[in-house]
Amino acid sequence: MAISLSDEGNVVKYGYRFIPKKFSFEGYEAIFKNPGILINAYSVTILITIVGTAAGLLFTAMIAYVMSRKDYRYRRTTTLYVVFTMLFSGGLVPFYILVVKYLHLKDTLWVLIIPYLVNPFYVMIMKGFLDQMPSEIIESAKIDGAGEYRSFFAIVLPLSVPALATVGLFISFVYWNDWWLGLLFIDTDKLVPLQLLLYRTMNTIEFYAANSQHLSGNVDVTKFPSLTARMALAVLGAGPMLFVFPFFQRYFVKGLTVGSLKE
Amino acid sequence: MMVKVKRRVMHAAFATVLGLSLVLTACSGGKPLNEVSKETTPRNQESADAGNQLEPVELTWYYPQWSIQPDTQKVQDAINKITTKKINATIRLMPTDGGSYEQKLNTMVAANEKFDIAWTSFWMFNYAQNARRGAFVEIGPMLEKNAPELKKTFPDLVWEALKVDGKIYSILNYQTITNKEGFLIQKRFADKYGLNPGTIKTIKDIEPFLTKIKENEPDIIPFGMTRGGNFENMKTTFNNIEYISNEAIVGIYRGDSETKVMDVIQSPEYKEYLNLMNGWYQKGLINKDAPTVKALDDRKKAGQLAVTFHNVLKPGREAEEKNASGGQDIITVPTSEPYVGTNTIIQSMQAISQTSENSERALMFLNLLNSDKELLNLVCYGIEGEHYTRISENTIKPLENSKYNPNITWVFGNGFLADLQEGQSQEVRDQTLKENSEAQSSPILGFTFDPEPVQTEIANIQAVNDEYGPSLNTGAAKNLDQKLAEYIEKRKKAGVEKIVAEVQKQLDAWKRQTGK
Repeated sequence: MAISLSDEGNVVKYGYRFIPKKFSFEGYEAIFKNPGILINAYSVTILITIVGTAAGLLFTAMIAYVMSRKDYRYRRTTTLYVVFTMLFSGGLVPFYILVVKYLHLKDTLWVLIIPYLVNPFYVMIMKGFLDQMPSEIIESAKIDGAGEYRSFFAIVLPLSVPALATVGLFISFVYWNDWWLGLLFIDTDKLVPLQLLLYRTMNTIEFYAANSQHLSGNVDVTKFPSLTARMALAVLGAGPMLFVFPFFQRYFVKGLTVGSLKE
Repeated sequence: MMVKVKRRVMHAAFATVLGLSLVLTACSGGKPLNEVSKETTPRNQESADAGNQLEPVELTWYYPQWSIQPDTQKVQDAINKITTKKINATIRLMPTDGGSYEQKLNTMVAANEKFDIAWTSFWMFNYAQNARRGAFVEIGPMLEKNAPELKKTFPDLVWEALKVDGKIYSILNYQTITNKEGFLIQKRFADKYGLNPGTIKTIKDIEPFLTKIKENEPDIIPFGMTRGGNFENMKTTFNNIEYISNEAIVGIYRGDSETKVMDVIQSPEYKEYLNLMNGWYQKGLINKDAPTVKALDDRKKAGQLAVTFHNVLKPGREAEEKNASGGQDIITVPTSEPYVGTNTIIQSMQAISQTSENSERALMFLNLLNSDKELLNLVCYGIEGEHYTRISENTIKPLENSKYNPNITWVFGNGFLADLQEGQSQEVRDQTLKENSEAQSSPILGFTFDPEPVQTEIANIQAVNDEYGPSLNTGAAKNLDQKLAEYIEKRKKAGVEKIVAEVQKQLDAWKRQTGK
């Protein structure tokens, strides 16, 4: 943060300081000179975060709810199935083949959302919370004439707001911070999420530094963003999340007890 | 209370469903991204188009790019006008961010994805390795028929260097193919302290000059260095060493007629280099953070590096360096003769994927790209008047804030064919071509080491290199002799001898095969 507000020459001369020696908004100016790409990336990221979190939360809660119902016969099997995916994965190449060849998701917005919809670990957290919910509540709802869906949406979900908030925050972090899916599956510049933009900026510099002795020196170093611009980008990338985080803080204590109580 | 909560939840659920359906409808338009505006060229009698006898095909072309170009689509349409007419093919440009290129392409190759042309080199998306994996089509036999111009464009030694196990799998983007090592020095200091470039023959000779800068210029770093150190760049100056495996740091002496493979870290030259750097570091001639810093571009831009070392002093280097050094004039002082090795040549190529259904057409496109100036200019600089202006017959100038200026001619094609950019000169180009044809060729040109049998050992060695390399190579290590002994010992433990033996075996076999 401090660096992003400093004057370039001073950073180079005096190193990093907590309080900038000389304030300057040059870093930000450099970025906002070409705002199109940045705004575009921002909107992509915000969109996938919102849609992904909402949908992910719904699916996670549904699966967890089913798994937590004591009167569900295949409870164990389902749980095992979920845990199994947590421990074993197919590996990158099969995953890639599945997404590109069978689901045809390459270069779509969906590819940034679908793979992260249900994370088994979050399902387990959610299940841990829902396990503590007395089954009598649901039974009484049934007697009052509520169907399965109604009892889930009208009773179970409102009662599990702390857990939903916690898991929702986790899921939104995953979406917000993801650049990996974009790297693999996105070719069009219109669909590049913010973090990938950031990752590229940083990576290009790293990469050039590592390979400069192999290159015939055809890469023009002046094209790279300056240090302060890089830091400004980093601030812009992480900023909103830092802002959101404290608001969810209060749910944490409640939400994070993963099955610490015995039934 | 309950009702309120309930309503809120219902709202949220509705919003979710609504949002999902919105996105669904937005995406289900199913507009293919490769909607190419089909130009229906009127067939007039004057142009007997070769393209008309061929089936129309679409070729995808993946290449790395380091900055986003908003007008790529526009340029692509313009390219397709030319290619449709000449070879009845449309090209789909797939610029991929340079930082993720290798990972992406490796995954694509592993997943057997269909694509036609991909950029490759020895330092990113490794050419020899992928050719051996069967990722590329062998194009040697197709050259005569589909790329006659190309075959004539390059000197024989280029085709020799492009061979992997005796077969050609790619087309070179022709550029500087020589390396010449030497110092880059800021002119203002050279003038101020009376440096005579003629006196600099070896690395050592620069020391008095560095000391003067250290004494008189408190804000300036006399000799700028990153954690990679400089031995790799100085190896020719230090007795004509050529690396065969960069990862394991083993190589040969170019002058050695026996071509005996050795562990470079155990060579007397490396020790000499270490002693010299160690002295410099202790005297404060090298930036203090050298063992940890990965790039010096910011300090370079601030004009704080008095001297650096580079292994490609190609003609015209001074002008490029001036830009990178915040406008300070730079002079170059070579310390070695220009030379050619396999890796100085195979820095940038296009290969055709094994999964391509139109490999012949892809080669025809590459041939066209490297012989048709108009097409190459389009790919490199965009559309005239919109992205650049022409200042003289074959010099162009990119427009301010142009929406297409990738500035990577070396990734696209023949750098001697495309127009010059402002600030580049024809003399430099001629000089480069001259050096290309005169440089001393490596005795093992065309040999590429196959690391497969010693993969484990190489991985182990790399870990050891990462541990000891930075502090030794930058001269920062305190007790040098002990550290070097440890380093050599650990490399032996990691299996460096086995690697040397394997390289020797392959090299001898290659020599028997080629009769060199």
